[in-house]
Amino acid sequence: MNEITQILLSRQGGGFDSEELLPLVYNDLRRIAAARMASEAEGQTLQPTALVHEAWMRMFNGGDHRWTNRGHFFGEAVEAMRRILIERARRKSRLKRGHGWVRLDIDGLPLAEATPDDKVLMINDALERLEAEDPQRAKVVVMKFFGGLTNQETAKILGVAERTVERQWAFAKAWLFQNIREQM
Amino acid sequence: MDDTLSREEEVFDAARKLENPAEREAFLSQACRDDSALRERVETLLSVHNNAEEMFTECISALRSSADDPGSSAASHLAQGLEEEQPGAQIGHYKIVQKLGEGGCGVVYMAQQEKPMRRLVALKVIKLGMDTRAVIARFDAERQALAMMDHPNIAKVLDAGATRTGRPYFVMELVRGARITDYCDQNQVDTRHRLELFIQICHAIQHAHQKGIIHRDIKPSNIIVTLHDGLPVPKVIDFGIAKATEVPLTDKTLLTAQNQFIGTPAYMSPEQAGTGGIDIDTRGDIYSLGVLLYELLTGRTPFDPKTLLQSGVDEMRRTLLEVEPQRPSSRLAVLARDDLSTTAARRHTEPPRLIALIRGDLDWIVMKALEKERARRYETANGLAVDIQRHLSNEPVLARPPSRLYRLQKLIRRNKVIFIATAAVSAALIAGLGASTWLFLKEREARRRAVAAELQQIRLTQEAELARSNEARLRRQAEARQKVIQAAVLISQGKLDQADRMITDASPSEPSVEAAAVLRSLSEWRALQDKWPMAADRSSSLLRVNQLDGWDQGSLDFLGAGVCLIESGRADQFDQFRQLALSRFASNTNSVAAERTVKICLLKPPDQTMMKSLAPLAGMAEASFTTFDARDSQATFRAAWGSVSLALWEYRLGHYAKSIVWAKRCLACPESNPPREAAARVVLAMGLHAGSQTDEALKQLHTARQSIAEKFNETLESGGADQGFWFDWVFAQILSEEATALVGSQ
Repeated sequence: MNEITQILLSRQGGGFDSEELLPLVYNDLRRIAAARMASEAEGQTLQPTALVHEAWMRMFNGGDHRWTNRGHFFGEAVEAMRRILIERARRKSRLKRGHGWVRLDIDGLPLAEATPDDKVLMINDALERLEAEDPQRAKVVVMKFFGGLTNQETAKILGVAERTVERQWAFAKAWLFQNIREQM
Repeated sequence: MDDTLSREEEVFDAARKLENPAEREAFLSQACRDDSALRERVETLLSVHNNAEEMFTECISALRSSADDPGSSAASHLAQGLEEEQPGAQIGHYKIVQKLGEGGCGVVYMAQQEKPMRRLVALKVIKLGMDTRAVIARFDAERQALAMMDHPNIAKVLDAGATRTGRPYFVMELVRGARITDYCDQNQVDTRHRLELFIQICHAIQHAHQKGIIHRDIKPSNIIVTLHDGLPVPKVIDFGIAKATEVPLTDKTLLTAQNQFIGTPAYMSPEQAGTGGIDIDTRGDIYSLGVLLYELLTGRTPFDPKTLLQSGVDEMRRTLLEVEPQRPSSRLAVLARDDLSTTAARRHTEPPRLIALIRGDLDWIVMKALEKERARRYETANGLAVDIQRHLSNEPVLARPPSRLYRLQKLIRRNKVIFIATAAVSAALIAGLGASTWLFLKEREARRRAVAAELQQIRLTQEAELARSNEARLRRQAEARQKVIQAAVLISQGKLDQADRMITDASPSEPSVEAAAVLRSLSEWRALQDKWPMAADRSSSLLRVNQLDGWDQGSLDFLGAGVCLIESGRADQFDQFRQLALSRFASNTNSVAAERTVKICLLKPPDQTMMKSLAPLAGMAEASFTTFDARDSQATFRAAWGSVSLALWEYRLGHYAKSIVWAKRCLACPESNPPREAAARVVLAMGLHAGSQTDEALKQLHTARQSIAEKFNETLESGGADQGFWFDWVFAQILSEEATALVGSQ
């Protein structure tokens, strides 16, 4: 045994648990969050650190915590961030409309009257429809739109060519927009 | 992959790059040939292409603005994250020698200190993105206190600073060894020696507590066993670091649970989990010591850390706040055979012996340290150590197995709703006791024996004066609790006068659900008899002990106590009462409690300072009751009461027009509540009078006074939420007297 046996901070027993995993991926998660949120705009409510922590907590809410690889892991991390950002948009959208208690119904809201937060919610609804039809393209949208990742990063995580990401992202944007219009 | 979509995508992708319309047209004709559906689809997509880009650009910037990290850019975070100190690197006065370990929130290095002396130290760089200045400022605030700690079982924290890239670091005395649980398991340390090590840890924590330092993060990895002349010496490390690195509540990040949740929820006290660190005292450390002791005895923490972490923040909180852990011996008894034999072997014994050793005293000692309610834990780390020492010397311990009555009380505490719902003394308590006294007598006998044992111990043990006075206090408390239970039984039998005498002897002053229920019944009983001074006495005592009842019952108690004070002619004490109400509810976040506090504090004209202190609460009430869902009868009910408070608030401010609006809003409420309406009319009358609408003022006041007079003509009853409590009527009456003096009567 090492002379300096586990000094001061030692790791939690065997296994691949959250306490061990967090330090390994923390920096990456944080960078995704920072990319998502780096801005000088006003109305800020959340720090990248907080977003990472919250996303982390949510991932551990699910129950199944086996990740087959890095891509799988980051896919889930970005999904968790998506849910957080959507909740935030939903809350802000409600507040702006003064319907403190009433469930906001964004269906049938004319696009011209929609706030950016409303639009984020609409995009998310359309994205759910795309997910049903074509999960692969939907993943690209989640990484690019909610994860704020570059084409290169998205390509690496999804294991596809960068060019494919670029093409799918451009197409998906038009598809989603049209889908939103058709819902009205 | 969807073929249709892929085909669409291909055509779309090529076409969008052709800017010349003619070229695009030609390409589409060629690419789609006779597939008109495809062509139509792609053309639609091309036509919305620009709008789509625009919308996404707008939304991406909206997502960005939904958050921000003040003072640091993405790039600097990246740099911070990648940074790792290399041997030879200089941080402040320290030169890195080697990396020692890495945990969830920091990296620890061995480092060489150059000045003022050459020595090896441990240097811990905090990894999580934190506001470095705030961390160091919080550390500096504690630095003096930390410097005063001088104990062989505490590793000193020597210094704090910021690295080149702005991350906070702490410098500590270098401790070489293993964490306590590993040391004990690897060396098969038996239970007795584990307890002896644990006692030393208690003494170290006690020393820190006496210097005013709370550790806040006691866990095995913060207690290192080092060998000194071949003897194991436990050292507590990281003192002051938890406090300096915790996210202050003012930075309302979404994760109120903060870093500790990522780290070590298994060792966190219920109050820490519940309040997010706002109300932590030394007893939080006692809880964590209890968890550590549990783990030393059984090899497990009371709650499984993985389950806790996976259950999510809310469930984690609920577990820590509400779920009773299994007793250590029961926990061992349900282990799988292999687990149990390993656990026993690590304690140098066999399974049956280990369980027998822990069952009884050690169970109760651990469970007393782990009490959810901190007032029931050991008062001090020393007290915990002394009880373990008693166990080791085969003396009776202070911790006791919970009696049936005690368990019943716990049940009641978990079901406070029952208490709140019943006006008289808890029906649950009566039902639990079977309305007969046999259980009570049995309990009294048990208590007598317990008290005798404690007295015996006082004679036998040569303890410090402090410990003795503690025991005497515990004994007094036990006797007082006993009387409270007797009073509760008497009330259940309708013997309120006897109960009243009993409670006079007990004079309870510690927060207690039982004592509060008894005092509440008695103050109401006196009020309904029109015996106001006695009602005021009981209700004032009630305010000292009702903290465990939550904001709803708590704020109702203040309404009752306020009117009792005025009715008993103790206007001089009313100011003090108002201060108490403020200190209790100033930081509460419930708008109903806020509204009630405003109302009762304004029952008598206040001074400027009081108005200023009440302003935030009035603001909170205004924000919640200005708009409400009229279909929700609860919300309407709350808003109607809130309107009375806000009418009175505006009236006291001299904003008569606003006051009138609020009073009318209350009266417009569809569901009738006579005392509320009477109060609203009285405030309305005063507002109208101030606005020189004398006739209307007289009319409103007359209606209110008639309603009040009718009520007081009959015997006053306790009442309920729907039709108004007795104190709601008394409130309206007191206010109507003020109004009559102003407006006159018809």
